[in-house]
Amino acid sequence: MSTLLDILTTAAILYSVCAGLLLVFGVMKIINFAHGGFLTVGGYSALLVTHLGLHPWWAPAFAFVIGAVCGMAIERLVVRPLYSRPLDAILATWGLGIIIGQVITLAFGREVQFVQSPVTGALDLPGGASYSEYRLLLVAVAVALGLTLAAVLEGTRLGLVTRAVIMNENLARALGINSGLVRFATFSLGAGLASLAGALITPLSSVDPNMGVPWLVNAFMLVMVSGVSLVSLAIACVVLGGAQVLVSQWGNPILGGLTIVVLAAFVLRLRPQGFSRG
Amino acid sequence: MADPVASVLPSPVANAPRKRSDLKRLGIFAAIALVVIAIGPYVLPMYMVNGLIRAFLYAAVALTVDVLWGYTGILTFGQSAFFGIGAYAAGLMFTHVGFSTGYAAIALVAGVGVAMLVAGLVGWLAFYHGASPLYGSVVTLVLPIVVTQILFSGGNFTGSSSGLSGFESFDVSIEAWFWIAGGFLVALTSAAWLFVRSDAGRILVAIRENEQRCEYVGINVSRVKIVLMVVCAAIAAIAGYAFAGVQMVVAPEYAGFVFGTELLIWVALGGRGTLIGPVIGTLVLDVSTSYLSGNLPFVWKLVIGVAFVVVIVALPQGLTPLVTRTARRIFGRRETAAPDAPVTFEQSAAAPYAGLEGAGQQALAVEGVRKHFGSLAVLQGIDFAASRGELLSLVGPNGAGKTTLMRCVADGNERSGGTVRINDHDIGRKPPYTCVGFGVGRKFQTANVFETLTVAEALRIARTRMARPSLWSRAGTLPLPEASLQVIRATGLDLQIGTEARHLSHGMKQALELAMVLALEPSVLLLDEPTAGLTKPERTMIGGILVNLAQKHRLCILLVEHDLDFVREISSRVIVLHQGRLVLDGTVAEVVESELVRTIYSGAAHGAPS
Repeated sequence: MSTLLDILTTAAILYSVCAGLLLVFGVMKIINFAHGGFLTVGGYSALLVTHLGLHPWWAPAFAFVIGAVCGMAIERLVVRPLYSRPLDAILATWGLGIIIGQVITLAFGREVQFVQSPVTGALDLPGGASYSEYRLLLVAVAVALGLTLAAVLEGTRLGLVTRAVIMNENLARALGINSGLVRFATFSLGAGLASLAGALITPLSSVDPNMGVPWLVNAFMLVMVSGVSLVSLAIACVVLGGAQVLVSQWGNPILGGLTIVVLAAFVLRLRPQGFSRG
Repeated sequence: MADPVASVLPSPVANAPRKRSDLKRLGIFAAIALVVIAIGPYVLPMYMVNGLIRAFLYAAVALTVDVLWGYTGILTFGQSAFFGIGAYAAGLMFTHVGFSTGYAAIALVAGVGVAMLVAGLVGWLAFYHGASPLYGSVVTLVLPIVVTQILFSGGNFTGSSSGLSGFESFDVSIEAWFWIAGGFLVALTSAAWLFVRSDAGRILVAIRENEQRCEYVGINVSRVKIVLMVVCAAIAAIAGYAFAGVQMVVAPEYAGFVFGTELLIWVALGGRGTLIGPVIGTLVLDVSTSYLSGNLPFVWKLVIGVAFVVVIVALPQGLTPLVTRTARRIFGRRETAAPDAPVTFEQSAAAPYAGLEGAGQQALAVEGVRKHFGSLAVLQGIDFAASRGELLSLVGPNGAGKTTLMRCVADGNERSGGTVRINDHDIGRKPPYTCVGFGVGRKFQTANVFETLTVAEALRIARTRMARPSLWSRAGTLPLPEASLQVIRATGLDLQIGTEARHLSHGMKQALELAMVLALEPSVLLLDEPTAGLTKPERTMIGGILVNLAQKHRLCILLVEHDLDFVREISSRVIVLHQGRLVLDGTVAEVVESELVRTIYSGAAHGAPS
């Protein structure tokens, strides 16, 4: 039972962490290696909320705003000139990740710090065991996040325009869609979501200036196997995240940490389209 | 690989001075570098000597990153893993077995061997036929992560997170290490410089520029990349081994992903694709980091990060070109790089069917070929055969499946069903470079060339299959088959052999691609609208060349064309495709008078685009 919950909550956490990266990759065809940096920004936003003595519920919202604002500036200055050089964009955004990490180190110090969790209780499971309520809450958050993104993409004009850009950017531009604006909005939203995810995961562990890097690699691999679909991302998170939980539990945690990257690499080798259809 | 000896002649005298001056320049540079390295330990402070030894070894790895990324376009995060493997080979051997000359040699061989094996595996995984460049990068990113995790989980054997240290090592003074590492770097840089400028080295740039075209001139791109990866891994492993020998410490970080990206940063800042830039970049950055990170620990890393982003965004070529240009301006020297080695064309001994046991009965046989994308059927059972000397035109309205049929003939992986035979060889599921070996030459619809290679270089790439290019020098002559030379002379390409393809006009690019395809000495020539966008005189000329190729050189030509007048003038036979089916196969007269064709072009479709 608790293994099942572990799989579910791990998948939910991975989903929240990956959503922003997927969005940016889907619309801009760019791998945002500053994603780890944005996660860190979110973690420290949550820390700030704790320091300011605000209720921890403020952390995600605060993190989202800070992340989105950072994203706006970065899109203008760094990402925009690299639209046509996707491999260079990986490198430049990795450099941005370094910059973000160093700025945070200068501002907050390099030591590990802890953030207050909004929910601290544990839920009693049938059979006497108990399970962290916060982790369970994250499942609900991930589902809500997925549904909101889907609703925005499917149900609003912005979503329609975004989907048009995903499918055929040149045609969209020819039809008068300002694809530059769509990219700008997407990158800002992606950064905001990454930062939000950073704030969500910090109560589970701690914050330090390099907290984003291990997440980045897993998120990158999950997005690679998901193509550009929110649904296949969910499948990938459950399957590969589940494999990670099982390997960590029955094998050893170090192998568990490798599960997602290695499996994803082999999935892509055997089936280049990964978990997406077609 | 036919007969490389017969077609490569000794270089003529005209080219010798240029080559000698190249070698002379290299010799002078290497000599200066060696002298500087020789006196280094006597004038530099001890701390600096130590730091430079490490930087020399890092620079050797950075050099491999430059060859892979700067020249070949493979963005790799994984060279650190091979460095780590070499380092751990020494560390493990000296810690657990002990030190002796014999053990040291075994450790070196084992480290290099394991690195090469891993590189082979990584290459197989990353560079399969049709892999995207992003996927290759993904795999090189996974590699160092896997290697470090294995090292972490090795417990006492690998020393886990703290690594191994304090093992006995070579009894060599620090000065001697400085000379060894410096000498290694100079030798490696010189060898790499010769290699990337050689005829074989141009293939790397060709792969970076246009992988597809490489495959369609018969180069097995995956294999080239894998071999390159394996060699670069071996070099990185040697550097890592020396590193462990001199520092007497190994740790998982040296195999890690962060070190892998640091290598990329050094290469990018120094100037990718310049060899000397990454070397200098590594030396300067690594040494200054060890000095400055003491005083300004976080600020320095921030500065590097900012510089890296700025260089990637604004100066993709790095700082080296900037520095050399400024230096030239200050010293008032003109650009010396420009004129390319003069290459003279000559006619090669004809070698059609090179690598095949014989010509076979039928040049081209297409039997029941089908192609569908999901539920959409594009080709539905195409049957026809063509012999040598035929100029077969493929006509039909847009969307009839003409280009798809071409693809199915030139690449075994394209069709969904049916059989294609070239010179009696079933192409099966073979990739394009194998089909080229059976005798197919394909010219694409839009000119498909190597933008930054010169005309002569591009033609030499096209001859790779026939004459294995030298790994360290540039030949002064380029033997080409008669047909290719004809195109070159008729179109005036021979006057622009030193021009990069991107500076050619549209028509000239088309001519270059045709000449490249003919340089393959194909027996089945596939041409997809070779006259699209050309002027009337150019068209007439191409038409004349094609007729000559079919009649005199006995090529089997399959031509996709919309211009029915052009088709009528030159074809010996016409095939009409409509909605994925072969509806007519006959002489020009039969097709022109056919009621069916008229209906297709005027009725069902909306007139013939021409």
